[in-house]
Amino acid sequence: MKVSKEARHIARSLYRDSLTDGRLDETKVRTIVNGLGAAKPRELIPILKTYERLVRLEIERNTARVESAAALDTAMQQQITAQLQQIYRRPIAAEFGVNPELIGGVRVRVGSDVWDGSVANRLRELSAAL
Amino acid sequence: MANILQEIEQQIAGAKRGVAKQNVGTVREIGDGVAKIEGLTDAMLNEMIDFGNDIYGIALNLEETEVGAIILGEYTHIKEGMECRTTGRLLSVPVGKGLLGRVVNSIGMPLDGKGPVKSDTLYPVEKIAPGIIKRRSVSQPVQTGIMAVDAMIPIGRGQRELIIGDRSTGKTTIGIDTIINQARLNRAAEQAGDKSVRPLYCIYVAIGQKQSNIVRVVNVLEEQGAMPYTIVVAASAADTATNQYLAPFAGAAMGEWFMDNGMDALIIFDDLSKHAVAYRQVSLVLRRPSGREAYPGDVFYLHSRLLERSARLSEKAGDGSLTALPIIETQLGDVSAYIPTNVISITDGQIYLETDLFYQGIRPAISVGLSVSRVGSAAQVKAMKQVAGRIKGELAQFRELAAFAQFGSDLDAKTQAQLERGKRIVEVFKQPQYNPVPVEVQVGVLWAVQNGFFDDVSVDKLKDCQAKMTDYLTSRKSALMAKILKEKALNDALIAELKAAVTEFKQTYR
Repeated sequence: MKVSKEARHIARSLYRDSLTDGRLDETKVRTIVNGLGAAKPRELIPILKTYERLVRLEIERNTARVESAAALDTAMQQQITAQLQQIYRRPIAAEFGVNPELIGGVRVRVGSDVWDGSVANRLRELSAAL
Repeated sequence: MANILQEIEQQIAGAKRGVAKQNVGTVREIGDGVAKIEGLTDAMLNEMIDFGNDIYGIALNLEETEVGAIILGEYTHIKEGMECRTTGRLLSVPVGKGLLGRVVNSIGMPLDGKGPVKSDTLYPVEKIAPGIIKRRSVSQPVQTGIMAVDAMIPIGRGQRELIIGDRSTGKTTIGIDTIINQARLNRAAEQAGDKSVRPLYCIYVAIGQKQSNIVRVVNVLEEQGAMPYTIVVAASAADTATNQYLAPFAGAAMGEWFMDNGMDALIIFDDLSKHAVAYRQVSLVLRRPSGREAYPGDVFYLHSRLLERSARLSEKAGDGSLTALPIIETQLGDVSAYIPTNVISITDGQIYLETDLFYQGIRPAISVGLSVSRVGSAAQVKAMKQVAGRIKGELAQFRELAAFAQFGSDLDAKTQAQLERGKRIVEVFKQPQYNPVPVEVQVGVLWAVQNGFFDDVSVDKLKDCQAKMTDYLTSRKSALMAKILKEKALNDALIAELKAAVTEFKQTYR
C-alpha cells in the first residue's frame, strides 16, 4: 500500500509520543489508537498501518522468541532470559516455544538478531560446507 | 580415504563451533528483481544478502525499518515472508589469468560451456580507485592498429578514451580491432621470446546487447586468435537489470587484478548508455528519487567511480595499468545529451564517429575535428610523432578548404595542392575492419604521404598503391621495418633508408 510522506511523518511522531523513557508505554499506545479511531483523520489506515509496524518492530526488539526441540525447564528458561538481558543491557521479555523441526538445540531471535544453535541449522551449515 | 575422513571431521569441528549471532530479515515485498526486507538491522551498504538456495542479493538501500536489495539471479524463487540473512561479505568475482579465453557473466560464472573457471582469487566488484600517490602519468602507448587513431588520437596505457557515435557507426569495431591488434602483438612477442614487450590483456564487457551480437564478437575474436588474451563479460539484454548494472564493475575488478600484479590490461565497456539505462531501472524500482531524464542523482558517480578505476600505477605500486575504452551511443549525433556529456567530462578524450562519414565510405568514420586525446600524445611512439605531428592540422585545414572550394573554381596552386594532399590523407586513413596495421608500417606509409610520394597517384588508385606498398615494406624491407620498430624514432639514416625503399617501390608501381 502506498503511504504518503505526511502519513509516515504523523505515524512516526505518534510513535515517539508513545515512548516513556525510551520504552514503549502500553497505556499511551492504547490512548493513541483509540484517539485516532475517534478522530478519524485523513489517511487513517496508512497512519495506523505505519504506526502498527513501528510498534511491532519495537516489541520484537524487546522480545526474545526462544524455540527449542523439546520444552525447556524453568531453570533453563530463567538462565536464557538472564543471559539475554546481560547481552542487551535492557529488559527482554522471553517467549518460549517448541519447534520439533529444530531436531535439537535452541534458536533465539531478538529483533533481527538470531542465535541458531539448533541441530537443523548445523546440518544445513555442514551440507553447505560440503 | 583417510584424508577424506579427516576433511569431513574438520568440517564437523568447524560446524560444531560456538553459536554465532546472525542478522536476519523477512522479505516483505519482491518484484522486478528487487526485494524490500524488514529487519536486517546490521546490514551494510553493498553487502551480500543470503536468501538461501544459492540466491544472493545486494543491499543497496538502507532505510529506517527496511532494506532494499537487488537480487542476483532468479528472483522468482523468493517468496514474501522468506527469511534472509546478512553475510558480512561484499560481492566478489573470480579474477586472474584463468579467465583469459573465457566468456563469463557479471558474477564470473562461465557461459561458454568450457567447464568451471580456474581461479583461486576473488576481487570485490566495487573497489575504491587507486589514489594519487599510487599513480603516475601515462607514458606507454596502446597500439590500436587503426591508423587514424594511432596517428591523430593516440591512446596511452592507463588512459580512458571514450568511443562515441550513433548506432552502427563502427564503435564496437574500434574496440574489437584494438583487441585483435593486442593479441597480434602479444603473440609476436611470445613467439620471439621478447621479455621487454609488456603484453596487454583485454576485457570486453557487453552490457545490454543482443545475444547474437555478443556471439558474433566472440566468434570474430576466436577467428582472429584473440581469445587467449581476452576475457568477455556478458550481460545481455535478456539478463536482469541488476546483472547489467554489475557487469562493468565485475569487468573492472578482473582488469584491476592485472594492474595490481604489474601487468597491463585494456577494458572495453560496450556500452555505458545501456548501463545507465539498467541503473535507472534498478533505481526506479528501488524507489530512489529520480532526476533529469528519470536517471537517479548518482548516475554521474556511477560512471566516474567506474572509470576512475583505470589508472597507470607507479613503479612502487607495481607499474601495472588499466586502460578503459568506454563506448557511448548517441541519438542522432546529439553529444549534448545527459549521459554522453557526463562520460565525455569523465574521460581523457573521445573518438567521435559520424554517420555521414560512415556512409561516405570513410571508415573508420572518425571525425577528426571533434575527436581528441588529452593525455595520449605523451605516450605516442616518437617515430609516429615525427610523421603524424602535422597530419591532424593538415586534415583540419583540408576540411576548411574543401568547404570553401565548393564556392569557387579558380583556386591558386597552393590551395589546390593542399586539397589534393588532404584527399590523399583521408584515403590513406581508410581501413577495413579486423585488419590492424602494425605501427612500423603506419610510420612508413605516413612518412610517404607527408613527403609527397603519393601526390602523383590518383585518389581512386591510392588504396591499391598503399596496399602494395604495405606488402613491399613488410616482405621486401622487413629489416627496415624491424629497425623502425626497435629504434622507435626516425633518425637521418633511417629516413634515408626509408626514402630509398619508397623511391624503389614507386619506380616499380604500376
